[in-house]
Amino acid sequence: MQVMSATAITNPNASWLNTRGMWLGYLTSVAILHFILLSVPLFSTAMAWTLTHVVHNVGMYIMFHHMKGTPYPTGDQGDVRRLTNWEQIDNGHQYTPTRIFLTSVPIFLFFLASFYTFHDRAHVTVNLIALAVGVIPKFPALHKFRLYGINRY
Amino acid sequence: MESGPVDLGGFYGTVDIHLELEERLAKFTGREEAIIYSYGFATISSAIPAYSKRRDIIFCDEGVCFAVQKGLAASRSKIKYFRHNDMDHLEQLLEEQLKLDKKNPAKEKVTRKFIVAEALYMNHGDLCPLPKLVEFRNRYRTPIFLEESLSFGVLGEHGRGATEHWGLKPGDVDLICASLETAMGSTGGFCAGKSYVVDHQRLSGIGYCFSASMPPMLAAASIKGLDIMEGSPQIFSQLRDKAVAMRRLLRGTPGLRVCGESVNPVIHLQLACPSSSRDTDDELLERVARECIDSGVAVVVAKYLKEELKLPPASLRVTVCVELSEDELEKAAKVIKTAAAKHIL
Repeated sequence: MQVMSATAITNPNASWLNTRGMWLGYLTSVAILHFILLSVPLFSTAMAWTLTHVVHNVGMYIMFHHMKGTPYPTGDQGDVRRLTNWEQIDNGHQYTPTRIFLTSVPIFLFFLASFYTFHDRAHVTVNLIALAVGVIPKFPALHKFRLYGINRY
Repeated sequence: MESGPVDLGGFYGTVDIHLELEERLAKFTGREEAIIYSYGFATISSAIPAYSKRRDIIFCDEGVCFAVQKGLAASRSKIKYFRHNDMDHLEQLLEEQLKLDKKNPAKEKVTRKFIVAEALYMNHGDLCPLPKLVEFRNRYRTPIFLEESLSFGVLGEHGRGATEHWGLKPGDVDLICASLETAMGSTGGFCAGKSYVVDHQRLSGIGYCFSASMPPMLAAASIKGLDIMEGSPQIFSQLRDKAVAMRRLLRGTPGLRVCGESVNPVIHLQLACPSSSRDTDDELLERVARECIDSGVAVVVAKYLKEELKLPPASLRVTVCVELSEDELEKAAKVIKTAAAKHIL
């Protein structure tokens, strides 16, 4: 809570991904990650693409679906303390533009990764698992879902 | 002539004299840091929600004053009330919570628990058994927030409040909140405690962030008040003696009963036989109060809002000041007794 900031936005986490330049910045970050991985001489192009996909999805899972609450005190007396970042986006409304965008990025990366790995069986298996990790937590039906109470508190 | 800085405390509103008052209050109460609020009611009702949020647990006495009740409501926490000054009930509640915690340690790790009480209850006039609360604090690891509006400048050998009165260390109570509008006779209030506890309120205390700061002149008045308190430590025992004397003088008032702790200078005179209608009782007491005021003795009916958790019995409130002489106390008691005899019986 900052002084002179008495607004109706009690939780900035709900709207920060809608702000100007966030989507472009997000895509640019994915591109930079991919270029870094491509620059490593050890990896073939196929490996780099799969790694981009996997690293992106794992990082996205940790950032959006594992970390809960806010790093700062919010004006709603801790209403979102038990919600993951994904569940806080747009205050829980589903099918908003940001949510559709963030759901489509892993899917788009999956298609790219499959293409650039020539649909090699091993790569596709790994990419499918990564796709599951990236997309299944985003289903509206799994809003506020906790498997066996893991990560509930 | 300037009446005040008229700006937020975190912005332009804090002047050097506010910082001086905060330092002096911290030193006087024996704590690391103090923070000043510009409105006494807002002090405790901003302090509680700054630390306790939703799904946290607060164990609170039923007889707390309205400011504390509003603080509890604003915190959106789970409140577990224990019967007024009933330490066994509090122990029972804490034990139940301990059992629940053992069953669900993951939930316990993210749930904050607090005990909230008043040192000298405004609505009832009695002391809270602070040593027992400190024992619970240490046993159950539950911090104490103590509301000291009536005990600051009253209890203790040097007037430092309930911790001094009970012979405890200042570190035994995690946060004290007191209004400067009572014994100090100024405006506003303060919270005092360890630095890292009190500092949190500079950004999260709603009454501090979103309210204009105290007028510097009244901050100066509070500093002068502290000078007097530190310079003449005998006034506190004198005040307590006068309170005891006044209670003795008021004993035997027809139709009214003297209530509360004997050293409490705020004396509640409850109706001995209250009727079934609260309005009639209040009107009756209003007539007695009016008669006293007309005869030159300031006595008020204790007023409460309908939203009070547990409405205390209808009562008159007589406050003793250390500046009053024995003769004035006797005269006042006589006036009150005459007025009571005239209207109640």
